[in-house]
Amino acid sequence: MANHTPSTQSQFFQHHFVDAEQQLDASKMGMWIFLATEILMFGGLFAAYIIYRFWYPELFVMASKELNTLWGTVNTVVLLGSSLTVAMAIKSAQLNQKKNIAINLGITLALAAIFMVIKYFEWTHKFHLGIFPGKFYVFEGIDHPKASVFFSLYYLMTGLHGIHVTIGIGLMIWLLVKANKGHFGSEYYNPLEITGLYWHLVDIIWIFLFPLFYLID
Amino acid sequence: MTGHHIATDKLLLGVFGALLVLTGLTYGVHYLHLPDPWSIIVAMIIAIIKGSLVALFFMHLYWDKKFNAMVFITAFIFLALLVSLSLLDTVFQPEIHPGF
Repeated sequence: MANHTPSTQSQFFQHHFVDAEQQLDASKMGMWIFLATEILMFGGLFAAYIIYRFWYPELFVMASKELNTLWGTVNTVVLLGSSLTVAMAIKSAQLNQKKNIAINLGITLALAAIFMVIKYFEWTHKFHLGIFPGKFYVFEGIDHPKASVFFSLYYLMTGLHGIHVTIGIGLMIWLLVKANKGHFGSEYYNPLEITGLYWHLVDIIWIFLFPLFYLID
Repeated sequence: MTGHHIATDKLLLGVFGALLVLTGLTYGVHYLHLPDPWSIIVAMIIAIIKGSLVALFFMHLYWDKKFNAMVFITAFIFLALLVSLSLLDTVFQPEIHPGF
């Protein structure tokens, strides 16, 4: 058993853990189990995508032309950049560079906002054309009886992803407030670490959504 | 203080650079219009490499306890079960159900 001395522990150390390392490991393991459930939630939609793509391969080629590959690529780069800055924020905390934590979180927040703004313009452009999900679909430009199926999947999958990005923005604001209060340093950065894990998973999901929707035609 | 690995700037920037190169590659290959199955196969291989880079280095799985990697991989195994068993039903139906 580790014989810790309370005086060297951070104010956020919980007494029921043996030491700070066990506290961090426990919260990380909990987050990984949550991420597994996230994969299964998105997985249902990925399964639907795969089944429909086997049924209507020609539809996916035709409908994908309505998506702007360039903006999809820009958003991929934006999210990858935000993953880098989250990783940088955690590294800064581990090295006790408190100012760099806030700077990196601020850049992450800005990149996440850029992602959502681009997504907003992509969606509203499609709404303008009459491309709505399901029975509300009124676009005439795709000569396929199941054209709405592709866009229902598109809205569901990028929509659920967008909800996750929005929640991530809220979490980043929370972290930024805590970072500015000086709560994070080399002895305690657990909320940064597990929010980082969440953010990277959201990034990984986009890494798969991007080729599956934008790179078909 | 703790025994957790601290990633260097060089490594994090190197991983980010590799992710950008792979994004450019998958964008470029898309314009080659490879014959039917190969386009999606190449795109998925690149996506899996990108996802693995993020998981291994940004999410620290490379240095982490193996238990966390096991939890992560297990989720994908169950996802593969869901997809493969569903496809066994849907792919071999003589006709697509009219409602779908």
